[in-house]
Amino acid sequence: MKKQGRGMATIMFGFGYGEGFPDHSIASVEIEDSGKILIRTAAADVGQGVLTVITQIAAEVLKVKPEIIRIIPGDTHLTKSSGSTSATRQTFFTGNAVKEASEGLLSNIYHYASIEFRSNHVELEIKDGYIFRNDNPNYRLSYWELADKVKERGDSLKAEASFFPHTDKPDPKTGQGEKLYVAYTFVTQIVDVEVDTDTGVVEILNVYTAADIGKAINPKNVEGQIEGGTVQGIGMALMEEQVIKEGITLNPNLTGYLIPTSMDTPRFVTRLVENEDSEGPFGAKGIGEPATIATTPAIANAIYDAIGVRIYHLPITPEKILKALKEKRKNK
Amino acid sequence: MSKLTIGFIINGQKKIIETTPFTRLLDLIRDDLHLTGTKEGCGKGECGACTVIMNGELVASCLILALQADGAVITTIEGIGSGGHLDPIQKAFVETGAVQCGFCTPGMILAAKKLLEENPYPTEEEIKRGISGNLCRCTGYQKIFDAIKLAANRLSTRDGGRGEKDA
Repeated sequence: MKKQGRGMATIMFGFGYGEGFPDHSIASVEIEDSGKILIRTAAADVGQGVLTVITQIAAEVLKVKPEIIRIIPGDTHLTKSSGSTSATRQTFFTGNAVKEASEGLLSNIYHYASIEFRSNHVELEIKDGYIFRNDNPNYRLSYWELADKVKERGDSLKAEASFFPHTDKPDPKTGQGEKLYVAYTFVTQIVDVEVDTDTGVVEILNVYTAADIGKAINPKNVEGQIEGGTVQGIGMALMEEQVIKEGITLNPNLTGYLIPTSMDTPRFVTRLVENEDSEGPFGAKGIGEPATIATTPAIANAIYDAIGVRIYHLPITPEKILKALKEKRKNK
Repeated sequence: MSKLTIGFIINGQKKIIETTPFTRLLDLIRDDLHLTGTKEGCGKGECGACTVIMNGELVASCLILALQADGAVITTIEGIGSGGHLDPIQKAFVETGAVQCGFCTPGMILAAKKLLEENPYPTEEEIKRGISGNLCRCTGYQKIFDAIKLAANRLSTRDGGRGEKDA
């Protein structure tokens, strides 16, 4: 018989290294000769989209089209440390470093333009990479023309910034602290499952997600992170099990260690909650790891709701479900 | 080591190449022809990253010996489109966010190509089945389904089919 159930789980996730570990990202932004704006960052984009996010951030601050942003990523000769792509930290840390560097560059653009135009900052306006006086918009300088003039003065239009927030070490006795992480991401998921009581097979029908990510700088990428993380959570809940014997992995392959395929993808309904964080770039927070955490307990709860048995060891395989159902019948 | 000469057509180009009896088609494509769009994932035919189209069928090129490609017609991701000349399926993958790390993408796109050739108006269930031999660890697959639906819509609209216009 097929039985349906619904489960829920809520998580909070402190991101960044936190707990007093030194954690920072350095980035620089400069006006390039080639008609581009160059960002230097070591932030590794492994597909999560940090380079897209920082392109958007720099373009927003500098009021230019994203197409003219160029990035030198992850070159130890040409970039400074951005810290690791881990701990759900790149959007927050490198996003902030790029935002501050872009703001530093923008300040310098205003500074040198005010000299060129013999004008106060407040009388200047910027649009699409051009700066001009409000009272004479026909006389304008592009960022690149301005950069040439700045070069003649022996300076250059570039800025470097780092984001290096403080976190506290937790009290060794209580584990408590004033500020252990820079910020927290909150996720709630509701999962609908269908359990086949004859075979023990669980199908995930629907996953409803509400994620407080502060600000979705790239909503499609945030959704992609949530969907990907959720499907990894489904794998953890139902199928992924590394079998180790005497230090040797017995299933080092994808037929013995199953991961979700396209057939295991549920229907997603996702709501992004944009409760802006005071320290995040444009209020954004991280979503990498938080996306995967709620799924597994929500599935375990949904299975309990469907068939009335609790499975305490992951993954919740058909064998475990059938065994638990058998014991339940015996105890009746 | 005995060398053998084989001939085949890859991405519309005729090639005659020397190979060994134990060279995999995957290595011939990547190492000898330098077509590195085709990826090696598991190397055991389980993940689909090395998918190419050979004689009209999706194959795992890690499980095919180069000699088996003698006389074959092969399409790799480079034959679908590259750089400024993207196939509608590739464009749809970019636009919908179906690419994250990108390692599964060449195989996924070839699987989608084959699917849409056989079934230009697939349901979501048919899309799921059509790419079920290709594993993706990043996306959770949903954006890939979206991409294939978008590409199907556009291709059928272009052919004067019954597809809906883009939203």
